[in-house]
Amino acid sequence: MSAVPETLPALAERADAAYLDFVEGFREYILGKGADFEDRLNEALLAEQARRGQPWGEVEQIREYVHSLPLGRLRDRLSRTQQEMKWFALRRSFEAQRAALLAELERYDTRGPGRLELDPNFVHPPYVNVHFHLQPGGYYKDALSGYLYHYGTKVFFRGDNDHDELHSKLVARVPAPVDGRVERVLDLACSIGQSSTAFHRRFPSAEVTGIDYSAPMLRVAHRRAVMLGDEVTFAQRLIEKTGYADGQFDITFAFIVFHELPLRIIHETVREAARVTRRGGIFAIYDFTGTRDKSPYQRYHRWFDARHNGEPYSQDFCDCDMNAILAANGFEVAVAPLGQRSGGAGYMTNWFATRV
Amino acid sequence: MSELTQQTPEGGTPIADENPVYLKDPVLDATVRMVVELAAQVWIERERRITLESLLEAQGTLSRAAIESFKPDAAQAAALKRERARFIEDVFKELRRIPPKP
Ligand SMILES: C[S@@+](CC[C@H](N)C(=O)[O-])C[C@H]1O[C@@H](n2cnc3c(N)ncnc32)[C@H](O)[C@@H]1O
Repeated sequence: MSAVPETLPALAERADAAYLDFVEGFREYILGKGADFEDRLNEALLAEQARRGQPWGEVEQIREYVHSLPLGRLRDRLSRTQQEMKWFALRRSFEAQRAALLAELERYDTRGPGRLELDPNFVHPPYVNVHFHLQPGGYYKDALSGYLYHYGTKVFFRGDNDHDELHSKLVARVPAPVDGRVERVLDLACSIGQSSTAFHRRFPSAEVTGIDYSAPMLRVAHRRAVMLGDEVTFAQRLIEKTGYADGQFDITFAFIVFHELPLRIIHETVREAARVTRRGGIFAIYDFTGTRDKSPYQRYHRWFDARHNGEPYSQDFCDCDMNAILAANGFEVAVAPLGQRSGGAGYMTNWFATRV
Repeated sequence: MSELTQQTPEGGTPIADENPVYLKDPVLDATVRMVVELAAQVWIERERRITLESLLEAQGTLSRAAIESFKPDAAQAAALKRERARFIEDVFKELRRIPPKP
């Protein structure tokens, strides 16, 4: 195997790993061509649309039809079940080794390379109190949230990100500023820092900073970066109010966080990114594809994910016009939908914007 | 589908309650959950047996510690993935027999 240290936390028992391995395979099966739910349900929606002689209107209309189909309801049951199984198994396995995992984090908190900057007086704004994708304790209420998130997203990405391959690929695609100057990079809502370390590797002489409100995430991010030997600063800050000086950063980056922000905070975050990104610098965003570019079933899935998978702000995000918000805040935008992964249900788009 | 929901801290889509019923009858929901759970348990057993067999073949001896620390090599991991896909297909192929329209 490779010499890269394994940063994914070990589970308590071999059986726990097998259980989660099952969940990962089952996810692939119900999201992809195995059960073939998405394409078949979309075809049913297109056929019904043709029969009615008009395009689908509000998502409520699509929902009513999907819920009239036993296949549509069963798919929802199975989606919810695999998500619940994942967190159940992870929580039990980490609970069994809680003391050891916490001691492990403590050992790394003050080590280098890089730095961990937690704010003992940090106040969490109320809108963050959501169990995003049903993660128990949400992103910050359990001291082990970062570990839960790391293993949880490993299963979520179905083998595409076991060793951060996805983060590396997406970071590699971000265009550098036209003048080529990259001295400081800011990773907004960095979670466990998988993009941050990828940026450090791409621009080894740049100063890379990852910020997040969740201390448990940042501690795991720091431990992970130390293990990999990557020098990154991880700081507990809000992305809509970073506290950094104007024009500090050559590249500002946000991977799948905007869909987890209320509309008001989306606007504030773009404004803040415009403030801290220097002129000619890049603001790169990857996030869910907007409603306009979705198939009818993908539109249904967005509603389902919002209501039944702890993504309450995602519908508003997909309905909003990010191009217009970026343009209104002094960015020039290039947008491109990313290649679809089977079962992606309208997966991801990128916005690469230049601060003008 | 149950429509009990909780408001979010700030706007957006209300969140479903903790135990949504998707299949009109909670018994059906529970049945489906049990079937998936059962499948997971069977997979755990099968994964372990494959592990044991691999180890027995490799060393001719057997210890608990050896089982716990077994890590498949690239070829074995690929074989496990194939086995997993086949297993899931066996149990859930029924899903494709449900017509989109009743
Ligand atoms: C889906 S994850 C983002 C994934 C991450 N960018 C990556 O590269 O893997 C959402 C993260 O955003 C953080 N977050 C959400 N809203 C935030 C805010 N207003 N300020 C700081 N962090 C925030 C959460 O704590 C969580 O770690």
